[in-house]
Amino acid sequence: MTILDKVTALLGEGAVLEAAPDRVPRVAPGSPDAVALLLGTAHQEGWRVRIEGAGTWLQSDAPADIALTTRRLDRIPAIEPSDLTATAEAGIGLDQLRQQLADRGAWLAIDPPGLAGRTLGSVVSTATAGPLRHGYGPIKDHLLGVTFVTGDGRMVQSGGRVMKNVAGYDLTRVQAGGFGAFGVIVLVHLRLRTLPRADVTYVLEGAREDLTQVGEDIAAAGLTPAALELVSPALARRERWVLAVRLAGSPALVAADEAGLGAASGGGRFAPLRAEEAHAFWMRLAEGFAVRPVTFRIGGVPTASDELLDLLQHQLGDEWISASPAAGAIRWTGDASIDRLQRLRRTLAGQEVPLTLERAPWPLRGAVGHFGAYREGVGPLVAGLRRTFDPGGALVVATEGT
Amino acid sequence: MSSALARDLAAIVGERHVSEARAERFTYAMDGLPTHRRVPDLVVLPGTREELIAVVRLLAALGVPFVPRGAGTGLSGGALADQGTVLLVLTRLNRILQIDNANRRAVVEPGVVNAKLGAAAKPHGLQYAPDPSSQTACTVGGNVAENAGGPHCLKYGVTANHVLALEVLLADGSVVELGSPGGEPWGPDLVGLFVGSEGNFGIATKITVRLTPLPRAIRTLLADFTSIRAAGEAVTTIIASGIVPAALEMMDQSCICAVEDSVYAAGYPRDAAAILLAEIDGRNVDGVVAETEAVTEMLRKSGARSVRSAATEVERERLWQGRKKAFGAMGRLSRDLVVQDAVVPRSALPHVLETICTIAQNYGLVVSNVFHAGDGNLHPNISFDATDPALKQRVEAASAEIMQLCIDAGGTITGEHGVGIDKLRYMHLIFDAESLGAMQAVRRVFDPRELVNPGKVVPIHACREWTSIRNAKFGMRNDTTGFNSAFPIPHSAVEVTR
Amino acid sequence: MTEGRLGFEGLDACVHCGFCLQACPTFLATGDESDSPRGRIELMRALERGDLAVTDPALIYHLDRCLGCRACEPVCPSGVQYGHGLEAARARITAARGTTLLTRAAVWALTTPGVSGVVYWFARRLRSVLPRGIAGWGRIRFALGMLVATKGDRGRDEAVNGGRRRATPTASHRPVPPRTAQLFRGCVQEGLFSHVHEATKRTLSVNGYETREVPGQRCCGALHAHAGLLDEARVLARANIQAFGDGDEPIVVNSAGCGALMKEYGHLLGEERGTRFGTRVRDVTELLAGDGKGPVAGAPLDLHVAYDPPCHLLHAQRIGAEPLKLFAAIPLLQLVPVQGAAECCGSAGLFTLLEPEMSRAVLETKLEHLRHAAPQIVASGNPGCLMQLGAGLAAAGIHAAVRHPVELLDDSYRVAGRYE
Ligand SMILES: Cc1cc2nc3c(=O)[nH]c(=O)nc-3n(C[C@H](O)[C@H](O)[C@H](O)COP(=O)(O)OP(=O)(O)OC[C@H]3O[C@@H](n4cnc5c(N)ncnc54)[C@H](O)[C@@H]3O)c2cc1C
Ligand SMILES: Cc1cc2nc3c(=O)[nH]c(=O)nc-3n(C[C@H](O)[C@H](O)[C@H](O)COP(=O)(O)OP(=O)(O)OC[C@H]3O[C@@H](n4cnc5c(N)ncnc54)[C@H](O)[C@@H]3O)c2cc1C
Ligand code: SF4
Ligand code: SF4
Repeated sequence: MTILDKVTALLGEGAVLEAAPDRVPRVAPGSPDAVALLLGTAHQEGWRVRIEGAGTWLQSDAPADIALTTRRLDRIPAIEPSDLTATAEAGIGLDQLRQQLADRGAWLAIDPPGLAGRTLGSVVSTATAGPLRHGYGPIKDHLLGVTFVTGDGRMVQSGGRVMKNVAGYDLTRVQAGGFGAFGVIVLVHLRLRTLPRADVTYVLEGAREDLTQVGEDIAAAGLTPAALELVSPALARRERWVLAVRLAGSPALVAADEAGLGAASGGGRFAPLRAEEAHAFWMRLAEGFAVRPVTFRIGGVPTASDELLDLLQHQLGDEWISASPAAGAIRWTGDASIDRLQRLRRTLAGQEVPLTLERAPWPLRGAVGHFGAYREGVGPLVAGLRRTFDPGGALVVATEGT
Repeated sequence: MSSALARDLAAIVGERHVSEARAERFTYAMDGLPTHRRVPDLVVLPGTREELIAVVRLLAALGVPFVPRGAGTGLSGGALADQGTVLLVLTRLNRILQIDNANRRAVVEPGVVNAKLGAAAKPHGLQYAPDPSSQTACTVGGNVAENAGGPHCLKYGVTANHVLALEVLLADGSVVELGSPGGEPWGPDLVGLFVGSEGNFGIATKITVRLTPLPRAIRTLLADFTSIRAAGEAVTTIIASGIVPAALEMMDQSCICAVEDSVYAAGYPRDAAAILLAEIDGRNVDGVVAETEAVTEMLRKSGARSVRSAATEVERERLWQGRKKAFGAMGRLSRDLVVQDAVVPRSALPHVLETICTIAQNYGLVVSNVFHAGDGNLHPNISFDATDPALKQRVEAASAEIMQLCIDAGGTITGEHGVGIDKLRYMHLIFDAESLGAMQAVRRVFDPRELVNPGKVVPIHACREWTSIRNAKFGMRNDTTGFNSAFPIPHSAVEVTR
Repeated sequence: MTEGRLGFEGLDACVHCGFCLQACPTFLATGDESDSPRGRIELMRALERGDLAVTDPALIYHLDRCLGCRACEPVCPSGVQYGHGLEAARARITAARGTTLLTRAAVWALTTPGVSGVVYWFARRLRSVLPRGIAGWGRIRFALGMLVATKGDRGRDEAVNGGRRRATPTASHRPVPPRTAQLFRGCVQEGLFSHVHEATKRTLSVNGYETREVPGQRCCGALHAHAGLLDEARVLARANIQAFGDGDEPIVVNSAGCGALMKEYGHLLGEERGTRFGTRVRDVTELLAGDGKGPVAGAPLDLHVAYDPPCHLLHAQRIGAEPLKLFAAIPLLQLVPVQGAAECCGSAGLFTLLEPEMSRAVLETKLEHLRHAAPQIVASGNPGCLMQLGAGLAAAGIHAAVRHPVELLDDSYRVAGRYE
């Protein structure tokens, strides 16, 4: 019996999406239980499994015996606008989820890089936050709980559906940013906000140093933007660097912040974007990170932002960069060699700045790894977690690289 | 426990910082929840990080289990050490190592008292946002271990949202650094995993936290209601409106009266069925004013008898002190107190609160509610006299019924106090055996021998076995069958009473 | 005292919340639960239950190390009466072990009529020749420092009268009709701080009180009560009740420790008489502050003053605002804020003698804050505190003098010519 036969017997024909003999079979379990069944079997049989969402972010290029795609896990079992919580399966496209939430007046305040159809599970497992992290925090701050299936097919729940929860260890945290190394996320409990009644974006062009200063002034002036993003000319497709400010919330709050914006703009003039323009601006930013071969993020302290930007420019060239200086987060995308990335990671580690490789073709990903340059003692812990959640090594994920 | 061990420990920390005498050990037999009582075999108070490391290495070498303890204000029996176990008290590690104004962060030792960190941040125009009601006593280390929340966590988030990096002393005596000063992890989010692990993954020896700018404008509202249901509905309305108050706290009549009888009397109306304390803050005065008006309007519409705004900083402080000391004030109601900590979806509040009243009536008990309403985090506290065994049984039955009610409403068994030993018996109600097994397995990644704080959080008897767990540290297969523990799981809420 | 549980019932309300921990000077010094109010309450409960023997050395050790400052009471939301519990526990301990020789000797020397007269005479002789610099951290030099700290301003009263009692000049203009108050003299206060008594009489007279001397009065009994010698304290209390009679006149006390106990004679004796007596007792600052107006203003004194509220005034008697009114009546005088002002200085009666290690640990924190605040004068309304602070300041090389607040008001009145 081939792998394909076994999978078909296990999950039915509908679950097999791609079965060309020269390709890795692509299997789409239709329920969390089916995921557990599949992974349990894979563990026993010794199959290597690569996890895919919609396949819009990471290339489907990891060497594997089967590809498990979550795209049929696309239900939204609950949206509770009065509690501001929702539960969604991991394979739902973010654009679909966003639409359904909006219909109920609710909002998931994340804007990850990538195409609009990225799955929720991929956003969670890569912990890829976008500009909104300035105002609403990293991905993990939006999670109330997850259910995941381990590499040997065990279904584990962690967290819950309520706003606060300290029952048991918070295994959700390992899944957020785990890049699938610790299991397949099947269900996510989300913390929502109400759809902002006012949502405006302003942009200011200028030299990077000047814009950094403006950003600091805005913070010092007590404005509380939802996003405050510094975007490189190439990525923004403008002449110079751009500082984009997004104000979202109740009309009263937004109006008050708008009034303060002029005063903090350091002589320059913030230009308001019309709604469609704003939408296009943030879309382009997000999509830009999914088109070039390599994308990574680094995170330092706010005062180091300038220096880190210099370092990136110096070592990798002036590619596509977007930064939330106050959050100390910088994302870079472009072309880079294994060697350069490894060197950069080492240099940064010396300054206590982690580099997380978010996207890259398998050869590079396999060599560099999503994570690495651990502090002393962290490596064994990560390895231990990996063994715990994927004892047979069924899940193909480039955690640390080689 | 041998006094040779005591001698060796004394050689590290100094004789007077090792307590061997029965009387001294008695004083460490309880935390903030005195319904549980465990007398430790030995108490050690290291004075420096180095002493602490040396102590743990010695204990690890001997295979002696140990329990870290902060201020002992925990409300789940987490900091209790059993026979054969050494208690490590961290109160003397109380230095604030750094306040980095420009990057808005602070580095502290674990024994720093929460409110003292706040006081040190204030001159810089910053605050440490998580403000458990116990903040004048509890330690940041204890907050990290319990993932403590507080009234203002509704807007600012709980401890987990504020810890950026940790230095952790593992049970084998090795030191690891988790997270980076910027908050970005070096791989999976081990800081997030450690926060809330109740001292089961090691001892936090250095904690880097995020500070946030102090708000520039604050409005504090006191609304009083003639029915609990109306107050609950007001909460639901405000939350659904999209305005995020800095805090939204509720207190019922029995609790109001206890506070008003105490030195922290805040001027709450004694005849109200419930009060809501709502605070709107922000960096922008106009915005705060506008939101305050909106919230006031919603409170009125929901049936508030009156809505009062604190006119001065002194009055505001008084309103908050009353709330924060409410739990202590409940000591006035009776000899003993069972403290609960459930969370329910906020829209379920009116129903749940009413049903709790009914349960209390059915059992003939006094239940006082004081809680973080905005988060749906309930604290129904039952006052009773533990010397009456029949009463004790009723209290236990009522507690279990309340817990089940909250779970049925889609909630959980603890929102901020942790599981410790007190809530072990409820864990299987919300987690299946597989998930409990996973937790236990993760614990063993950090502490393969289960030396640190044994017998807490995960009810081992309810775990599904994870046989394939390997020993992370030594890379060998762990051939213990199942998870045996020398520590029996308590089944009763009120095991040992004074 | 309540029959049966003798004060232990005051501890019942404790819910173990820990709010008192950070208010307790001894806990702040050691970080040890056994040195905290909550821990000591557990010890006392175990003692009452019989789980710990009254002779248990560790129990005694940690209860002995309690300052009795009662800073733990006002912060307790549950209203625990720590002081009552402590007294009950100490009485049990003392009944069992007897009093230590040192305590015995100290109480005997300081409070026994006849004996103490000689002791104080000798002490006064000694202090007149000792320089301030004698103070140090060793037992003896700290003690000498304490003694030096008792010197009155410029040794005035002593220089004039050799310490004997004399007629106090009265105020030039006296409100009519003058009210009267009975003066409590005490033992240490009388032996070493008679200048404070003189200042008390003078300043009260400006504010409409004539003070009467009361013969036959004794030591207040606080040292005894705190040492667990409850019966002896009761004898003294009865004697004082007898001496001060059944009138309604206020009894003015200028030593916070004495006042605190005298206000609680009712609890001590469990007798109505005691309660009635207690309601008459007034701290001098209470009388001077009058009904809220504050004392008559004096002449300006250009001084930076740190006020260190005695625990027995602030925590035990809950008197916080009145002393401030005294300072407010002195134009130009500036109160400098001191961090942790409300925390104990570590004196606590005989404590500084009996538990020097803990006492100094507590004092050190206080001195650090005072060094930072840099006042010219540290004012406090209790003899023990004045001596402790005086010795500590001198030993630490901090240039600040110690004064009773009434002395400052007295100076201000003198400059204003109110006594001419
Ligand atoms: C009156 C009152 C009000 C309270 N209000 C709140 C509230 O509003 N919100 C809230 O969340 N909680 C509240 N609590 C509970 C309690 O204060 C918190 O859980 C607090 O975080 C405990 O801190 P602690 O220093 O007292 O820790 P402890 O009680 O000493 O210890 C708690 C746990 O942490 C572990 N631990 C302590 N230090 C470390 C360390 N350095 N490393 C690893 N593990 C460690 C211990 O082993 C134990 O398991 C309240 C308690 C009281 C008594
Ligand atoms: C709880 C409490 C109760 C009190 N009750 C009373 C009371 O009932 N009546 C009353 O009058 N006062 C009372 N006071 C005030 C108290 O008596 C004095 O504060 C105290 O006796 C003197 O200071 P001390 O206790 O700090 O010094 P002590 O503990 O008495 O002495 C410490 C050291 O200082 C030296 N020293 C102190 N005084 C002298 C001295 N006179 N001569 C030589 N050396 C000396 C000694 O050598 C001794 O070793 C009370 C104070 C407190 C805090
Ligand atoms: S504050 Fe009061 S109730 Fe709380 S522990 Fe201290 S004495 Fe007990
Ligand atoms: S009386 Fe003072 S020293 Fe004693 S326990 Fe209370 S606060 Fe601590």
